[in-house]
Amino acid sequence: MIEVSNLRKNFGDIEALKGVSFSVRAGEIYGLLGPNGAGKSTTIGVLCGLVVPDSGQASLDGIDIARRPVEARRVLGVVPQEVALYTEFTARDNLSFFGRLYGLGGSRLSEAVEQVLERVGLADRAREPIERFSGGMLRRLNIAAGLLHGPKAVLMDEPTVGLDPQSRASILELVRSIAAGGAAVVYTTHYLDEAERLCDRIGVIDRGSILAEGTLQELRDAAGAREIIALRGTFAAEVVTREMQKHPEFEVLKVTDGELLLTVQRAEQHVAALLAAASSLGTVREVAIRQPSLESLFIKLTGRELRE
Amino acid sequence: MTAALTIAAHHIRRVVRNPGLILLLLAIPLTFAIIEYAAFGRTVAKGTLPPATVLFLDEDDTLVSSALPQVFSGGPAKDFFELSQVQSKSEAVRLFKRGQAAALIVVPSGFQSAVLEGKRAELGFYPNPVQSIGPEIARSMLEMTALIGNGLYAKALEPIAQIRALVQAEREPTSDEVAAISRGFFEAGRRLSSLQGLSGLTVGVQRPGASAVKTGFGNDPGQFFAYVFPGLVVFGLLLIAQALAMRLMRDRLRGLQRRLVVTPVGPSAVILGGVFYLVAALFALLVFLGIIGAVVFRIQLRDPVSLVAIGAGFAIFASGLHLLSVSLARSDRGAGFVGSVIVLVLSLIGGSFVPAEQYPPFLRSLAVLVPNGAAQQGFIDVLVHKLPLAALGGRLAVVWSWGLAAMGLAVYFEQRRLRS
Ligand SMILES: Nc1ncnc2c1ncn2[C@@H]1O[C@H](COP(=O)(O)OP(=O)(O)OP(=O)(O)O)[C@@H](O)[C@H]1O
Ligand SMILES: [Mg+2]
Repeated sequence: MIEVSNLRKNFGDIEALKGVSFSVRAGEIYGLLGPNGAGKSTTIGVLCGLVVPDSGQASLDGIDIARRPVEARRVLGVVPQEVALYTEFTARDNLSFFGRLYGLGGSRLSEAVEQVLERVGLADRAREPIERFSGGMLRRLNIAAGLLHGPKAVLMDEPTVGLDPQSRASILELVRSIAAGGAAVVYTTHYLDEAERLCDRIGVIDRGSILAEGTLQELRDAAGAREIIALRGTFAAEVVTREMQKHPEFEVLKVTDGELLLTVQRAEQHVAALLAAASSLGTVREVAIRQPSLESLFIKLTGRELRE
Repeated sequence: MTAALTIAAHHIRRVVRNPGLILLLLAIPLTFAIIEYAAFGRTVAKGTLPPATVLFLDEDDTLVSSALPQVFSGGPAKDFFELSQVQSKSEAVRLFKRGQAAALIVVPSGFQSAVLEGKRAELGFYPNPVQSIGPEIARSMLEMTALIGNGLYAKALEPIAQIRALVQAEREPTSDEVAAISRGFFEAGRRLSSLQGLSGLTVGVQRPGASAVKTGFGNDPGQFFAYVFPGLVVFGLLLIAQALAMRLMRDRLRGLQRRLVVTPVGPSAVILGGVFYLVAALFALLVFLGIIGAVVFRIQLRDPVSLVAIGAGFAIFASGLHLLSVSLARSDRGAGFVGSVIVLVLSLIGGSFVPAEQYPPFLRSLAVLVPNGAAQQGFIDVLVHKLPLAALGGRLAVVWSWGLAAMGLAVYFEQRRLRS
C-alpha cells in the first residue's frame, strides 16, 4: 500500500534522508522510530508530496506521488505533528471544511463528519468552539480531520506529543482501530514504549537512515537476548573500559559521567560479580536490570538513548 | 477553481467570526478623517478654499457695536472670513440666496448698554442654510471671539470706562476718542492669551427655516472629505491587508497551510484561495468605506465604474504586497515589521495624510508613481476634479501594474515555498 524506496533529501548541507526504503501493507501499523532530527517528518513530507526528494520513489496504493500527486492525495490521510485546526470554528465546522477539500459534500459529508466524530469520541462536543478543548481532545480531532474521507494510507507524525498517559492510551487505541479498518498506517514517534505497544513493524531511523527494521520480536532477537544493566553514579570512561576488559561477558554500551550501560546474558547471574568489581569502576549509587527491548537495540545501533 | 473559492470563502468566514483587529483598523480612516476635519478643515481657507464671507448688520449703531467689526476682522480671524457690512436682514438674505455669504452677524439694538451694564449681551448669528463649512468656520470663530470678547471685557475695563465716561458726559465723542477706544479693544484682544472671565456675551445661533440643498465648492463638507478621505482609505486598506495576510502567515506557522496542501486540492488551489480571500475582503471593505464616506461624510460617489477600476487594482496591489512580505518572511514578527515599514514609507511618499496635490512638484510627481499615491489621486480626480474614466489612464496603469507585479511575485514565491 505504501512503498518508499531509496529516498534521499538534502537541505543545504544537512543530509535529512540518506536512502530510506520501507513498505507498509494494508492493515499494518509501521512505526518510524527515531530521535529528534532523525528524518521522520521529512519522510512523511515526501509521502504527502510536500517535500520533493532529491532521488528515490514513493507511492501510495501504486500511485507515484511525484507524478500523480492529486490522485495519491485522494487515498491519503495525514495527521500532522502539530494540531492544525481552525480555532474560530467548532469541531464539526472544522471537519466539514476538510471534508469538502476531499471532495465530500451534501449528506455524504455530514455522515462522514458524524461517523468520525463518533469514532474519536467527540460526538457530544461537536458544536463547541474548539478553543475550549483539552490537549487530548484537540489531538483526537486533529486525527479525525485526517480520517474523514476513509483513506487507504494514513500518515501520523507523532500524534501523542505532550499528552498525559490516559489521552495517549486513547489515541493508541484509535490508531489500532484505523489499521483494523484496513488502512496502512505510518506512525512516527520517539517514544519507545509506543512503538512497542502499537506497531506491527518498526523501522529504527537515525540521521536519515533506517538502521534496522522488523517486527518487535525480530528486532529484539537482533538485539540479542541480552539484558541491560544500568549503573548510576560517577564514572570515568577510560577506567571503565580498562576494568571491563577483565569481564568479557559484559559489553559496554555507553559510559557517561553519571551513567554506565552494560549488556549481558542472564544478568542476574552476573550482577554479584559486577558489584564486587564496582568500586574499581567508580562510585555506584544505583543498579538496575532492564529487560531486553528496543531500547537496547536502539542504543546498540545508534550509541544513544532514545530520550528527548 | 471551486476548491480555491471554497478556501477563500472559508478564510472570509473566519474573519467574520473573529474580526478582531480588522474592525479596529477600519476605524482608522474614519477617525483620521474626523481629526483632519477638526484640525485641517478649518484652515482649508488658507489654501485652496476662498475665505467665507460673513455679513455684519449693526442694529445698535453705538460706539461699542461700531468697534466690534474691528475686533472680528483683526488678528487671526481675518484669515478665515471676510467681513462685509449690510444695512438690513433682507439684503443679507439676498446675498445668502446667491451663495455670496456664509453667515450673518447681527448686533441687536441695546447691545452697548447691555455690555456696559454687565448684563447678558447677545450677538445674533445666522448661518447660510445652503452652505455648511463656511458658516461652521465663521461660527466657531465668532464663538472664539465672543470668548475673547468676554476676556476682553474683564481685561479691557479701560476702554469701557472711557465709553461710560463719554456716555455720562452726554456729549459727542471726538474721532480721536473713538479711535482710542477701538484701539483699546483691539490691543486688549491681541494681548489676551488666556480665555477667562466668561460673563454675559453669548452668540445666539439662528437657523431660518428648513435647510435647502447644499451647494458650492469648498463650503460643502463632501468636498473636503472627497479630498482627504481617499488617502486615508488607501492607508487604512494597506494596514488591513497586512492584518489579513498575517492571518495566513499564522496559519502557515501553525501547520494549517500544509494541512490544506496535502488534500487533493493541492498547492495552487491553496495559494489561489488565499489570493481570492485577500482581494475579495479588501474590495468589500473598500466598498464599505466608500459607503461610509457617502453616508457619513457626504462624499458624492460619482462615476462608480472609475472608482471600481481604481479600487480593484488597489485591492490587488495591497493583497499582493502583503502576501509577498508574508511569503518571504520566516516569522510573524518579521512579516509584521517589514509590512509596517513598507506601509509607512508608501504612505509618506504617496501622501496619505496630506493630499499629494499640496506637495512640492518633485514629490508630487513621485507620489503618483507609487500605487497608493496613484490610487488616492485617482479617487480625488474622480470625486473632486470630476475627471472621466478616459482621463485616468495614467493612474490606472500605475495602480494595476504595481498590483499585478506584486501579486505575481507573491504567487511565485508562495509556489516555490510550498514545494521544498
Ligand atoms: N525545510 C527544511 N529546511 C532545512 N532543514 C530541514 C528542513 N526540514 C527538516 N530539516 C532538517 O532535516 C533533518 C531531519 O528533520 P525532520 O524534521 O525530518 O526530523 P524528525 O525526525 O521529524 O525530528 P522531530 O522528532 O524533532 O520531529 C533535521 O536536521 C532538520 O533540521
Ligand atoms: Mg518531526
